Amino acid sequence: MGAELTDKDKIEEALAERDHKRVQLLLRAGLALSTALMAVGLVMRLALGERGSPPLRLFELGSAPDLGLLLIGLGILALAMTPALRVLALVVIWARERDWRFVGVAVAVTLTLALSLAIGKG
Amino acid sequence: MELSLPTLAALVVLGAAAGWLGALVGIGGGVILVPALVLAFGVKTQVAVAASLIGVAATSTAAGSAYVGSGLTNMRLGMTLEIATTIGGITGGLVAMVISPELLAGVFGVVMAITSALVFFDRGGHEREKEPTEAQRQARPAVLGWESREKLAGAYFDEHLHRMVHYEARRIPVGAAVSLVAGTLSGMLGVGGGFLKVPAMSLGMKVPIRVAAATSNFMIGVTAISSLFVYFARGYVQPLLAAPIAIGVVGGSLLGTRHSGKLPAKVLRLTLSAVLIGVAAQMVLRAMGVHLGR
Repeated sequence: MGAELTDKDKIEEALAERDHKRVQLLLRAGLALSTALMAVGLVMRLALGERGSPPLRLFELGSAPDLGLLLIGLGILALAMTPALRVLALVVIWARERDWRFVGVAVAVTLTLALSLAIGKG
Repeated sequence: MELSLPTLAALVVLGAAAGWLGALVGIGGGVILVPALVLAFGVKTQVAVAASLIGVAATSTAAGSAYVGSGLTNMRLGMTLEIATTIGGITGGLVAMVISPELLAGVFGVVMAITSALVFFDRGGHEREKEPTEAQRQARPAVLGWESREKLAGAYFDEHLHRMVHYEARRIPVGAAVSLVAGTLSGMLGVGGGFLKVPAMSLGMKVPIRVAAATSNFMIGVTAISSLFVYFARGYVQPLLAAPIAIGVVGGSLLGTRHSGKLPAKVLRLTLSAVLIGVAAQMVLRAMGVHLGR
């Protein structure tokens, strides 16, 4: 604990800092996009005078009855995809660093998320 | 469900309160959203869980983006444990769809009572430090944290100790097993599961509690979406219910991360603990067929 950092440690420090900033940017962009989509969709839906809250299925977004509902659905999807994209971004970042062990770990998480989509659809 | 404008406004405020407290006290916010939607708005438990998972994903994304810059999050450790939490999340989501809403409410009540106790006895490791003094600021290195590529280890800069604190995660299978349980509960109940992950990492894996809290918060979003995809695909997401809550949660979470370390978190924790135990009792009563609310 508290040992002096070696040159190798310092390089890893710099890489970690860069990775963190990229992930932070991705999370903020996803949050802004999803919130904007949901807010616009909600206002459009209310402007139509619609107050009912029908369920919306992920794989039937294309057949949403109006644009407002479609935008809300896309906003929810964007919010859900943000953490998933973060996992994918780390696959790319760690692959560039040739950190193959953790590329494998991140790919395993990606596959599990894909499995959840497949199970939901099934 | 017919949503009037006052109801929509109430949902935004509810989401904001859950997000604010979630970011401030270090819980996902689901422990507030689910009972509020079930008890106050009369929403079916599974629909409330789906809305809450969206809120949990929003809290994690908003608060996580703040924590990532602090150098406390160990992304390799988080990703390793996410394998277990996502498998748990899918399992929990599927279980929630086949059991009765009453049983689900009962399980939720019991988990809330446990959460209340954990919040009550919490050591506060998730709280961000107070503003550093001038001396602490000068001692601050350019890089606040790093993680090893070879093992689940890293270091972060501790402003009180004025040095980098190095750590290495141990007993990975213990952390993975608890993460699996946390993921299952998250998928079933729409909660973040941080109340299990943080002690698993800090006590079980010997990771500093501040790193454990930041890493847990980072993981919660991925755990939540693994079951959210199942709920969303099967029609449990009600957009007019979920959108105002999510918008409120985003605003509340961002505000919560700013207030973190500036408000008397101990008082907040004790208040939250008392509220949780009261709501836990109501959820258990509902499971037994006694309806005190709607």
